[in-house]
Amino acid sequence: MADEKGSLRGDVEEGEEPVVAVTGSAYPGKQAEEEEEEEPMKVEVAVGADACSDDLSCGEADIDPSLLELADEEKCRSIRKQYRQLIYNVQQNRDDIVNTASDSLTEALEEANVLFDAVSRTREAALDAQFLVLASDLGKEKAKQLNSDMSFFNQVAFCDFLFIFVGLNWMEGDGRELSDYDDNVALSFWETVQKEATSWMLQAEKFHFIFGSFKSEPSARKPRLEHRKKVHKMEENGDMPTKLRKLDLNSNQEATEKEVERILGLLQTYFRKYPDTPVSYFEFVIDPNSFSRTVENIFYVSFIIRDGFARIRLDQDRLPILEPININQVGEGNDPSSHCRKQGVISLSLQDWKNIVATFEISEAMITNSY
Amino acid sequence: MLQKPKSRGRAGSQPERERDGGRGGGGAEEAPSTSRGAGGAGWQGSRRAEASPKAGPRSQKQLELKVAELVQFLLIKDQKKIPIKRADILKHVVGDYKDIFPDLLKLAAQRLEYVFGYRLVELEPKSNTYILINTLEPVEEDAEVRGDQGTPTTGLLMIVLGLIFMKGNSIKETEVWDFLRRLGVHPTKKHLIFGDPKKLITEDFVRQRYLEYRRIPHTDPVDYEFQWGPRTNLETSKMKVLKFVAKVHNQDPKDWPAQYCEALAEEEARARPQTGGPAPSS
Repeated sequence: MADEKGSLRGDVEEGEEPVVAVTGSAYPGKQAEEEEEEEPMKVEVAVGADACSDDLSCGEADIDPSLLELADEEKCRSIRKQYRQLIYNVQQNRDDIVNTASDSLTEALEEANVLFDAVSRTREAALDAQFLVLASDLGKEKAKQLNSDMSFFNQVAFCDFLFIFVGLNWMEGDGRELSDYDDNVALSFWETVQKEATSWMLQAEKFHFIFGSFKSEPSARKPRLEHRKKVHKMEENGDMPTKLRKLDLNSNQEATEKEVERILGLLQTYFRKYPDTPVSYFEFVIDPNSFSRTVENIFYVSFIIRDGFARIRLDQDRLPILEPININQVGEGNDPSSHCRKQGVISLSLQDWKNIVATFEISEAMITNSY
Repeated sequence: MLQKPKSRGRAGSQPERERDGGRGGGGAEEAPSTSRGAGGAGWQGSRRAEASPKAGPRSQKQLELKVAELVQFLLIKDQKKIPIKRADILKHVVGDYKDIFPDLLKLAAQRLEYVFGYRLVELEPKSNTYILINTLEPVEEDAEVRGDQGTPTTGLLMIVLGLIFMKGNSIKETEVWDFLRRLGVHPTKKHLIFGDPKKLITEDFVRQRYLEYRRIPHTDPVDYEFQWGPRTNLETSKMKVLKFVAKVHNQDPKDWPAQYCEALAEEEARARPQTGGPAPSS
């Protein structure tokens, strides 16, 4: 009961018939006054989406009982079909409808109106609503068209005027586009337009710190790069000496072998002269006049020893001596030695060299110079 | 410190000095999270101890630091011209000072106005996004001084805005490209200056809120329409755009009566006392 009172008091919402079951005793006097003008409803079933929705008065007291019967399914289907057809047509002929000169929108609306008279169910009413949305959108388009007809703004002329404004004068009717010109022209065009445009806008400038944001690494790298560049430059300047050195190295390779052979020859000559007499290592290699040559001699002799043409060992005075190795001995003697290859490091300082020269009283080098 | 807003060129010399003064004792160029680490010792202790920190007495220095950070944050966020969200401000800068956020914002807005000549404005009422706009009118001579500000997109923007307004505040995307094609700007071709023009116009400008990009319903093939965005209404006006168009045509704005009337009406509406103002107090 309470609900029914509420719906009565709420008056008629569009298209809704209030649900009422009137029992005389339950009515408060106040309510009776309010609804005096309204005729008490005797209908017990609420019917939604009534046909005459724009008639807000509740005076539709006598509902046509035929509406309460199950509406004819066939009829409803045909109404829905007609609506869909109408919507489709409108969508297809959009351009024609939006055109301000044509009346096709009005015609479509009238057609929809006729259809709506037969609508009694929500399903068809939903289609009607869909059509209404479509029609109103198109109506808005049409209205916009009307506006633009009034304000006669010529885009093409605007474009030409832009070119003239920037300073590109060419013949009218030439149909030229900016892309026909080279990049510099385009750049200057946009820069000029930009300059003019910014004077009409209150844009805030883009904020940047003058020295960039807080990362300071890039500046630290620069000195290192510069240093590398300088070093590189120096190396480049030294092109000439490098080349010479390369040549030297090349010749040095052959020179080493030649020297070794030469010294081997000297050694073997000595051994032939004095067979079975080992030569003192120091006496052989030391050059009393040149320390560097002494070192070279040691270097070459080590090759001889490595290749197995001579042998170095300590004699009873624990001084190193060079002994020849015969080719015969190579087969026999080398077997035990090949198992245990020995390495020796000889270091000679300038002072040592002087001492040796003095001690051994070496007056001249055994290894003569080739040049 | 206060000076009447004159040309932009003059104001340029001021900010450097003012900025140092406004920063207080805080680290000048460091990341804006200094105050969280360098907060007063007692304040820090209480923050860690309690789950929900109370608004303890904050020193003047801390407040100054916070406001300075907020100013920096807003300036840098504005570089991309994308509206700054209130949520971002609260997350990155304000943090525990949430309770005095409105005051902080008001102070920051004041500083921005007095020092830089920028106004902090809410993009739309109740939108909780903010942008910076210049309060100073641009001056011809500034163009040379400004130097390289990146790609010159404002020119293209102004042309599009002009088109939109002159065609009744709304224009179809196809019409825009028909026009721009003659200027060598194509939606599908890479442009020398603008790169990807379609992206620039339909995405970047829209994200910056200069333009609105809406789909036109019931169109086949799908078409879109452009309208002015909220930022445009704040940074420029119909009258200014009309004057731009008129200048290009070398004519008087009154030669387009419909548009002129519309622009005039907007001017009058603006001249009436505004209900909204700068940084809101909500």
